[in-house]
Amino acid sequence: MSSGGISLGESPRRAGGAPDPPRRMNPIPARIRLWFGRYSTGQTLAFYVLLALGAVVFLLPFAFMLSGSLKSEQAEQAGSLSLIPRHIHWGNYPAALARIHFGVTLANTLFVTTWAVLGQIISSSLVGFGFARFRFRGRNLIFILMLSTMMLPGQVTMIPVFLLFRSLGWVNTYLPLIIPAWLASPFFVFMFRQFFAQIPEELVEAARLDGASNWNIYWRLMLPLSGPVIAITAIYSFLWTWNDYLNPLIYINSPNKYTLALALANFNGQYGVRHPQYLMAASCITMLPCLILFFAAQKYFVESIAMTGLKG
Amino acid sequence: MPRTMFSKAAILGRLTRRTLLALVLAIVVWSFGSVLVRWAGTYQRRQGKIVLTILHWGSPAEVRIEKILIGAFEKRHPSVRVVDINVNGDYTSKLKTMFSAGEPPDLFYLSYDDFRRMVGDHLLLDIQPYIRAQRRAGRFQWLRDFYPVPLNAYRCNGRVVGRGDLYGLPKDFSTMVMYVNLNLFHEAHISVPYRGWTWRQYQRDMKKISALKPTPTGRIYGGVLNTWPATLQNILWTYGGHFFQNGNYRRVALDSPAAQRALQMIYRTRFIDKSVFNATGIAKHGSEEFFTGHIGCIGPQGRWTTPPYRAIHSFQWDVVPLPHEKRTVSSIATVAWCIAAHTPHPRHAFALLKFLCGPGGQAMAARLGLAIPTLRSVAHSPAFLTPGRRPRHTQLFLDAIKNAPLPYTPPHHGEFNLIMEEQISDALQLGEKSTQSAAQKVARQWKRFLASPLEKPTFPAMPWRKISWIAAATLMVLAITGWLLTRREKIGVLERRQARAGWLFISPWLIGFLALTLGPMVLSLLLSLTRWTAIEPLRHARYVGLLNYQHALVHDSNFTQSLWVTFYYVMLLAPLSQILALAIALLMDARLPGIRLFRTAYFLPSVVSGVALATLWLAIFNTKYGLLNHLLKPLAHLLHTTPPDWFGLDAGRWAVPGFVIMALWGVGGGMIIYLAGLKGIPPTLYESARIDGAGAGRRLWHITLPMLSPLIFYNVVMAIIGSFQVFTQAQVMTNGGPHNDTLFYVLYLYQQAFETYHMGYASALAWILFAIVLTLTLLIFRASRNWVYYEGLKT
Repeated sequence: MSSGGISLGESPRRAGGAPDPPRRMNPIPARIRLWFGRYSTGQTLAFYVLLALGAVVFLLPFAFMLSGSLKSEQAEQAGSLSLIPRHIHWGNYPAALARIHFGVTLANTLFVTTWAVLGQIISSSLVGFGFARFRFRGRNLIFILMLSTMMLPGQVTMIPVFLLFRSLGWVNTYLPLIIPAWLASPFFVFMFRQFFAQIPEELVEAARLDGASNWNIYWRLMLPLSGPVIAITAIYSFLWTWNDYLNPLIYINSPNKYTLALALANFNGQYGVRHPQYLMAASCITMLPCLILFFAAQKYFVESIAMTGLKG
Repeated sequence: MPRTMFSKAAILGRLTRRTLLALVLAIVVWSFGSVLVRWAGTYQRRQGKIVLTILHWGSPAEVRIEKILIGAFEKRHPSVRVVDINVNGDYTSKLKTMFSAGEPPDLFYLSYDDFRRMVGDHLLLDIQPYIRAQRRAGRFQWLRDFYPVPLNAYRCNGRVVGRGDLYGLPKDFSTMVMYVNLNLFHEAHISVPYRGWTWRQYQRDMKKISALKPTPTGRIYGGVLNTWPATLQNILWTYGGHFFQNGNYRRVALDSPAAQRALQMIYRTRFIDKSVFNATGIAKHGSEEFFTGHIGCIGPQGRWTTPPYRAIHSFQWDVVPLPHEKRTVSSIATVAWCIAAHTPHPRHAFALLKFLCGPGGQAMAARLGLAIPTLRSVAHSPAFLTPGRRPRHTQLFLDAIKNAPLPYTPPHHGEFNLIMEEQISDALQLGEKSTQSAAQKVARQWKRFLASPLEKPTFPAMPWRKISWIAAATLMVLAITGWLLTRREKIGVLERRQARAGWLFISPWLIGFLALTLGPMVLSLLLSLTRWTAIEPLRHARYVGLLNYQHALVHDSNFTQSLWVTFYYVMLLAPLSQILALAIALLMDARLPGIRLFRTAYFLPSVVSGVALATLWLAIFNTKYGLLNHLLKPLAHLLHTTPPDWFGLDAGRWAVPGFVIMALWGVGGGMIIYLAGLKGIPPTLYESARIDGAGAGRRLWHITLPMLSPLIFYNVVMAIIGSFQVFTQAQVMTNGGPHNDTLFYVLYLYQQAFETYHMGYASALAWILFAIVLTLTLLIFRASRNWVYYEGLKT
């Protein structure tokens, strides 16, 4: 680890001709440099202890959940807090999954999530492209307007949007959960715009001279270049849709159309108090895809910050 | 130097990645297939048939009975297909959401206390004509077999409940009794009061039982007194007291001598004798406590706990009548099948209704034992009395019927219950207030609520026509101006083409903005000036001016409460989360071996959100088996206290901090932003500062913080906006309770909009929220001039 692990400042691999920002050279030997200077061995040790303690605090809830999901009901109700259960009850998982109708709810959730993620990528990249690469009257004004809608609490529009979808007959369908994602979110549009804006104009010009239409430039040139932004959009819109509760709660009525979040909440209302071990198992399963996604795409989570241009 | 493309590790990595991708794709394809096949199946099954949707709740055993009945009905009526929706958890809000969505179920369970509002809003089908037709044909003789009290609870003549036409048939009901642990009664040498007892005897017996030696697993309590509004009312009745004076819902009578005697009795057992377990917490009532065997007597309680209690084998139990003082009286709770007023198939719905309430189904349900059958012949049959099964004195449930008055639900009973629960529980559960002052406070708040100008009956209709004309004219003017502006622009063909393409590319967002943001904002602002329930057509909306805002700010104590809860939360969370995120980011900035692992550990929780987060923390906060209190116990022991009962007894103090702790767990998201910012600070700054002799603290203060200030600013603004909108956790974990201690603003807004259908009022609440958030943001913007150092962004 002589180079000190992954550094958030490092720019990710960029495809195409995107300019690599100059790498900052670190004038101080990297070994044990804290932001405030050099430290002795004892202090380094203390620092590690502090870090480890914090990490334990942050990870303990996961351990608690996992062990709780494998305990017998008696052990759970007795309130023993051994993180390693005496007898491992794998049977809690099938029992919990059956109670949230896992097959059905998982399929529903994936169906909705896939459409929403696809829609978010396509629409946000289109809009981002529009803002980044075309000049038209009021563009900057509209762009700022779009960004400021991020600050609008969703509750202001919740009721009329509900009335709109109701009048379209979309209640108890997945359309209210999917269609808004096809109409672009400011957050992702912003990231796409920032990315597209830094692609050199010569590249676009060259494509145009070769007779590429706007659509071709978008589809053949811009999208293939924007892998990292697509990944970030996919990840975040996946997490949003997967964990969304309010919208399914308002729009979905039939239990066979429930998403996982709804089913879990319903399960909690029904069995939560009596069977905490099932609840823990069901929560575990619901969280799992998000955690897997995190581990699979860790670098993009970090990168998303760089994309928004928020770093210094 | 990139790794070679053909190294073993690279190939292996690519292979695993491909396998994973294929796996994910396969799952997605499967899910699409599953959803589509189900759609096709539903479509096929329903084709050419009359579809009746029914909504109900129930345990798996009840659902099984329901399924059998539906199967039998479909066999008898082959043209009908019944779609059955079983909702557990928040049934009432689901029912109301379906109504406000304009897609009510044809048939649904309706609890007696929701009947008044539903029938008043003309949502229920008058089934009297259908009954008359049946009786004329000589059928449906068993209508006479119904117990009159639960049946009359679903009558209404347009003014009063209890008389007039029927709007539903009660499927079952329950009277109130006390469940007793016979072992504890015997141990304390008390004879079991099967023939009735007074509250004085009750208090004496409770003291005796609670004096029993504690067991290794905990102390013995004489009992649990259930004091949710319906049972509290029952206790008041036995003392000759009432919630309201002479049945006039405008005058609260909780401070009458009789009511006060009842309330003080409860207070005494809980706080002076300490013989009664003070059941608070997420579970809300102590019916679960009975299982432990530490509770001598629990009630007033209905029949519904009988089946779960039958699973008790560690002690003997039975039921006894409610204690009495002035009179022996039992309230009843009942549930009926009702039909939506606008069902397209009223005749078939009625046939199903009759079938579901019929003797066959009732006998099956009676064997399950969750409630008393509403048909007298079934109630007196062995199916219900179940000789040989516990409780031995089931007859007591039936005996209580003759002392059961018609249930009375005042107008706005939901609002009244909210007010009363909050105040009364301050006195009866927390012991923080005298019963007298709690009663006066309820009366005052209720008066203020009723004094709201919104209570005036008539308002002019909302001038929608005029508004749409104005809207159309505005749009026209805007369009023409835009067109003229583009005409006047002297630009080339190429530029014009460019501009057109640009508009085309941003059109998805434009459409979304117009249809889902701007339009709704205007409509929401208009709606906030109306009184309108979503169940009527929009043209029935009444124009009330600014009265919604006035009502919120002056007359609605729940609004004040929710605002306070939310402010408290935001003011606690926003600074804490930023300080913590920044502190962790500073630690993470160290270039130490293995720091990456720690970074993962700290960031991981922030990807968890929504319901799963809520259910996990519900378990962590649990006072019995939760993680947190286990860890806090030694600390609390040092301080000679016990760890807090987060969402129970100590909710007033600890519930909001509890939510803050939960939110702080996800601080990694903010941390990663700060970390990125820290990485961006040029090291030369630190170097020169060090050369100038600045210590660590001064470097933090004079370099790090100023350089990060734009990020801090952004994070604070987003944190405030975000934490004003807490909803999922609050709804799933506590649903506003206990005593409104966690009634977060958006939760209250949701309840107003989708549970009481006050769409106009909810819109006003949304705009008040918007105004608050906007003001706060602008204030921070204003103040930011003094502390945000934008050089940091430019480097």
